[in-house]
Amino acid sequence: MPEFQVGDITLEIDEDGFIQEPDAWDEAVAKALAKTEGVDELTEEHWKLVNYLRDYYLEFGIAPMIRKLCKATGFKLKKVYELFPSGPAKGACKVAGLPKPTGCV
Amino acid sequence: MKKSTAEDSRSHKAQVVVDRLGEKLNRQIVGSLVACVHCGLCTDSCHYVLSNPGDPTYAPAYKADRIRKIFKRHYDWTGRVFPWLVGAETIMTDEELEELKDIAFGKCTNCRRCSLNCPMGVDFATVNRMTRGLLVSVGIMPEGVATVSKDQWEIGNQMGVLKEDYLETLEWMEEELQDELDDPSARIPVDKRDCAVVYSINPREAKYDPRTIGDAAKIFHAAGEDWTMPSDGWDMTNFGLFSGDDELGGAVARHLFDRVQELGGKKLVISECGHGYRSTRCEAPNWAKYDVPFEMESSVETMLRYVKEGRIKLDKTRNSEPVTFHDSCNLARSCGMTEEPRELLNLVCTDFREMYPNREENYCCTGGGGAMSMSEYTPRRLKSGKIKAEQLKATGAKVVVTSCHNCVDGLTDVIRHYELDMKVTQLVNLVAEALVIEKPARAPAVAEELPLAGRRIVVADDEPDQLLYLATVMEDYGATVYQAATGDEALELARKEKPDLVTLDLSMPGRPVTEIFELLRSDSELEGLKICLITGRPEMRELIYQRMEIPPDGYLDKPLSEDDLLRGVRKVLELSHQEG
Repeated sequence: MPEFQVGDITLEIDEDGFIQEPDAWDEAVAKALAKTEGVDELTEEHWKLVNYLRDYYLEFGIAPMIRKLCKATGFKLKKVYELFPSGPAKGACKVAGLPKPTGCV
Repeated sequence: MKKSTAEDSRSHKAQVVVDRLGEKLNRQIVGSLVACVHCGLCTDSCHYVLSNPGDPTYAPAYKADRIRKIFKRHYDWTGRVFPWLVGAETIMTDEELEELKDIAFGKCTNCRRCSLNCPMGVDFATVNRMTRGLLVSVGIMPEGVATVSKDQWEIGNQMGVLKEDYLETLEWMEEELQDELDDPSARIPVDKRDCAVVYSINPREAKYDPRTIGDAAKIFHAAGEDWTMPSDGWDMTNFGLFSGDDELGGAVARHLFDRVQELGGKKLVISECGHGYRSTRCEAPNWAKYDVPFEMESSVETMLRYVKEGRIKLDKTRNSEPVTFHDSCNLARSCGMTEEPRELLNLVCTDFREMYPNREENYCCTGGGGAMSMSEYTPRRLKSGKIKAEQLKATGAKVVVTSCHNCVDGLTDVIRHYELDMKVTQLVNLVAEALVIEKPARAPAVAEELPLAGRRIVVADDEPDQLLYLATVMEDYGATVYQAATGDEALELARKEKPDLVTLDLSMPGRPVTEIFELLRSDSELEGLKICLITGRPEMRELIYQRMEIPPDGYLDKPLSEDDLLRGVRKVLELSHQEG
């Protein structure tokens, strides 16, 4: 399995670049993962989205519907795609340390 | 039959695979297994081979031989008589099954390009799908395939989307559409009976990217279609196609077919999804043994029909970037849908360029056959995308359109990996973008007719939420509203703005409202001013009604619905003092 280096920490990632150990996630990891998704700087808005995804995942064990994400953060759908150009499923979930979404994505 | 010692030591799973292979044999499979002459024409037709020259294990004939050898050994007389001559060989261990898995799931996307190019009519993709089915039947499959299949079996859609979440998403898209068009009649009807069109989607549209749902709704609305989306049985994708599990394929499709029947739908429209279309329209009636009594069509055909019938108008200059089209293997090669998308593209964008090769000869997006849910093979998949990247680049297009969700993701990965400056979109997005919606001419007239148009109102309430609510409602109905948070502010505003009406909350901080009321009434410059009390504590009204001044022109009790508020305010404004 490939690895991903953040500072002194080495994390296992899957072949699509999603981290395998959600517990190993922290801010530094998020920042490093964001770079792989073409997001060079995580703004307050990015964090709002990332934190929501993460909290939801920790509570329910799955990624939330985009509807829930938009409702909770108050972001328009378009805004989500502006923040994470590769979309909520791949871009935002990856940065938030979630596993790769299942199914046709 | 007497069993040899070798067969006694065969693993249980391998034995099941050998036995079930016999049950799967039909004319198409047997034809494909016996007809190969190893001519090598398939080699050059496979995108894996073309992107990995020098690796013979990707050649379709080689891959087919891995299952062919078992067939020859157990089910073909040539393999029984001279196994060494025809390469007949049995399978003994679970490790060998794992190797078979690596080929069936990890080295082929079932795109059928080799099938089309085989002079002997060998349909390797069909053989490969059968192999997958055999492996799945003994529990050997990539984890992603197992997860998705489980969700389709248990929850009824491949992403485990719950009913309430799905319905909420439809509502949300409906609201967005109504906002965009400023038209409350733009709807996404759910479970409407006897509609001309029942629209089914891919769960990823609901879960992650509902823009396509909104766009489709916009098009149906513009076309004046009598349509609906089912609240249940709305997933037209089918992992049975990818896993080779006909039972799953049949169960998923039956769910959808039953629902359309219950709703009395005349036609099932399938959103832009290659495998969903092929499964639902072409394969599933066989898997489910279902005599489908309604028509089925791809939304590509639906949109084209609307243009041809003059039901929608398009302004193609809105899509002016150079566009190319990627044919999905399932739509083009397996279902023959090659011309409809092109006809529509030429109507919807100004610069359409072909990709070469195209139509049924197009190369795979790399994400076919469920590959997007098998992360373990991603590096291989991306490497095999080299030929696709070259093909895309040569078009010089900025946008690649495809009518398949799998292709959207496969192409997005290829574009990123090979650093191409392109984006991927679907026809539904382009059509929605180009859609010319004539605004009803009555729109400005309506504004003038608003019930409170021209009225000037001071609203006083110390609760910010209440104040905002009251003000917003009155503004929405055309009034000019001045907001006051205390009685004194209301007094000041009334003296300055000379409004038609002041609404007063009875319990505000500062000077008692009774005093404010008195001052308003006694001000000679404010003669004819209407005053309305709005309170959540009706018992306090007495304080004002007992006074000597002319009583208020009306009162309203909180909480107030929008309708009650409007009715109350209009009543106050339209009655004279004498009548009040």
